[in-house]
Amino acid sequence: MASKANRPELIVHGKRLDGRALDELRPLKIEASVLKNADGSAYLEWGRNKVLAAVYGPMETQPKHMADPTRAIIKCRYAMAPFSSLEEHGRTGPNRRATEISKVTREVFENVVMLNEFPGSMINIFIEILQSDGGTRAAGITAASVALASAGIHMRDLVYAVSIGKVGEHLILDLNMLEDNYSDSDMPMAISPRNDNVLLLQMDGEYTKEELHKAMEMAKEAGKTISKIQKDALKHVYKKVAEKYESE
Amino acid sequence: MEAIDMVKSSYIRELFAKGLREDMRKSSEFRKIKITPNVIENAEGSAQVDLGATRVLAGVKLDLGEPMEDTPEEGTLAMSAELLPLASAEYETGPPSPESIELARVVDRGIRAGKCVNMPSLFIEKDKVWNVYVDVYVLNFDGNLFDASELAAMAALVNTKVPEYEDGKVLREKRVKELKIDNIVTSATFAKIDGGILLDPDGNEESAATTRLTVATDGKFVRAMQKGLGGNFTTNEVDEMAEMAMQKHDELKKHIESR
Amino acid sequence: MKDIVLPGEMVTETPIRASHTYIEDGKTYSMVLGMYQKEPLSIVPLEGTWVPHIEDTVVGIVSSVKNSVYEVDLKFFGRSLIIGGKFERFSFKLGDIVEATIKDVEEKKTIILSYPRLLSGGTLVSIKPAKIPRLIGRDNTMIRQISDSTGSTIVVGKNGIVWVNGGDVALATEVILRIQDEAHVSGLTERIKKMMETRMVK
Repeated sequence: MASKANRPELIVHGKRLDGRALDELRPLKIEASVLKNADGSAYLEWGRNKVLAAVYGPMETQPKHMADPTRAIIKCRYAMAPFSSLEEHGRTGPNRRATEISKVTREVFENVVMLNEFPGSMINIFIEILQSDGGTRAAGITAASVALASAGIHMRDLVYAVSIGKVGEHLILDLNMLEDNYSDSDMPMAISPRNDNVLLLQMDGEYTKEELHKAMEMAKEAGKTISKIQKDALKHVYKKVAEKYESE
Repeated sequence: MEAIDMVKSSYIRELFAKGLREDMRKSSEFRKIKITPNVIENAEGSAQVDLGATRVLAGVKLDLGEPMEDTPEEGTLAMSAELLPLASAEYETGPPSPESIELARVVDRGIRAGKCVNMPSLFIEKDKVWNVYVDVYVLNFDGNLFDASELAAMAALVNTKVPEYEDGKVLREKRVKELKIDNIVTSATFAKIDGGILLDPDGNEESAATTRLTVATDGKFVRAMQKGLGGNFTTNEVDEMAEMAMQKHDELKKHIESR
Repeated sequence: MKDIVLPGEMVTETPIRASHTYIEDGKTYSMVLGMYQKEPLSIVPLEGTWVPHIEDTVVGIVSSVKNSVYEVDLKFFGRSLIIGGKFERFSFKLGDIVEATIKDVEEKKTIILSYPRLLSGGTLVSIKPAKIPRLIGRDNTMIRQISDSTGSTIVVGKNGIVWVNGGDVALATEVILRIQDEAHVSGLTERIKKMMETRMVK
């Protein structure tokens, strides 16, 4: 987090610097099945974030000794393009941050993918952050969820993710890069909308019990919008083709 | 090579014997090309290229840095390429493969030898210049990454804006000045299959190919070449391919310059 | 068109056993992206890998030969084997295309094949396994129609690999790929028929 000394006023008259209300999402757009080779894929734009997610599998496990004869294994790569930020050219190759995000993202999907359906196989999830503007791990998980569904992977639910932050006394939804840099707290969450189970939860800063509760309620409320956009993206792939011919 | 590719390549050769290509193209024809510039607003320049089903994205970043010792009054240029694992089931995560390094170096040579970027214009003050980074990201593989990447890198550079530099600070929000481009280089890649030569091989054709040649040119001069795979060409064939690459230059250049 | 259902969506408030669904707290949910029909409850996946069943016809490529055991690449995550014995002797080579029938599936991941047959020449088209039922059509109507119109011999593997030989291979391939894209849209048979009629005239 950047120094608080030169922090800009993030909330003015109840509005945020980009004009959003405290509990307002940035514009979110998802397109499913965008890549030809991958078994499933999704392209997502969330605010100025641009994310490509793809899934290969279930496929033969490589290296072979990693195969689990009783269930599928999931591998996950989250990576940021060196040209993705408005700042300096990023260093290529995995760093500690990307490695941690890859791990917690994998654990999200280990919870919802029906691993017993494909024993011995491997499911690869690739998340490439092409442009970053805060909340990329939530964007990556939301995109990967759509990619998994579009690959026909058996899952208990279509997971979404979103971040809640805190500026002074205020809780804010879906932090952009500037807010992420200067806020007092950031709490990304991934949630299974069917039962509101929490599948990813990270946090730093300070929350009272009441604030924590309110933050989770905000995430769930936003989840209704995010879920709908995910579902519409998947349905659109098939409706588009259907409309083309039904109008003929 | 996967087993199914072996079958595909024998089919390609069977077709080739009848003078046909799988998608009915002529032997000297590129697949459909689409260039979309400025797809990554955070980057100083960017372009996505679709060459048939091959898709690559190039991004350009400019950082403040030091000049090379032998060119103290010029900026620097660095090229890299990543074969992203989401682009093909055969690409793996991990350190750069020899293929991705070759790809970056071939694209780099064409652009460098063609003196495309005006390097003195990147000089700021003593010991302070712009370092230009071009990163090519392969998003979907269906053959001929060389030409797709050369197009993407070139189109991204043509659309690059230089940040303002004031009082020792880089102001990336203020990007008005265009990067000075002196020349445009394009490449044409050929595959040899059973003695015949095809332009712009797709993935199946590449798996049937015994030899490959990439020719980078600015229309006037041949600027870089790279022969690949275990086979060979006659000198006559090299002449013909160089000429074809030069003929194709204008058509490709138009794609790069259209915005 | 029928309704599209997504993973985690409830399909009935009562527990009903149907493929591609799961039951929790007395309710039934979809576990896939699929086409959904309420009565009788059925979900047909729109995407996804092939799940092998006994008696499925498959098409693959011999990828290893050891003594009289042949491994066949079916583009499946597990292993697929043709096991020769005293009474059954085979002589396949590496890279041979074979058609076979599944005799047994062990622990969802090891496939034992029987009645292997060599397919010589031709080419392979791989399509999404979820679309294979539409390519075959009710009582083989679709595949027969393609075969008759193009003059190609076609063998469809449930695993998503299709062998095409002779006749107008390019047209047959195009039709197969088109069926993959439009499998879920009603009126498919008529559209394909029309397409082939106009193309064959040329």
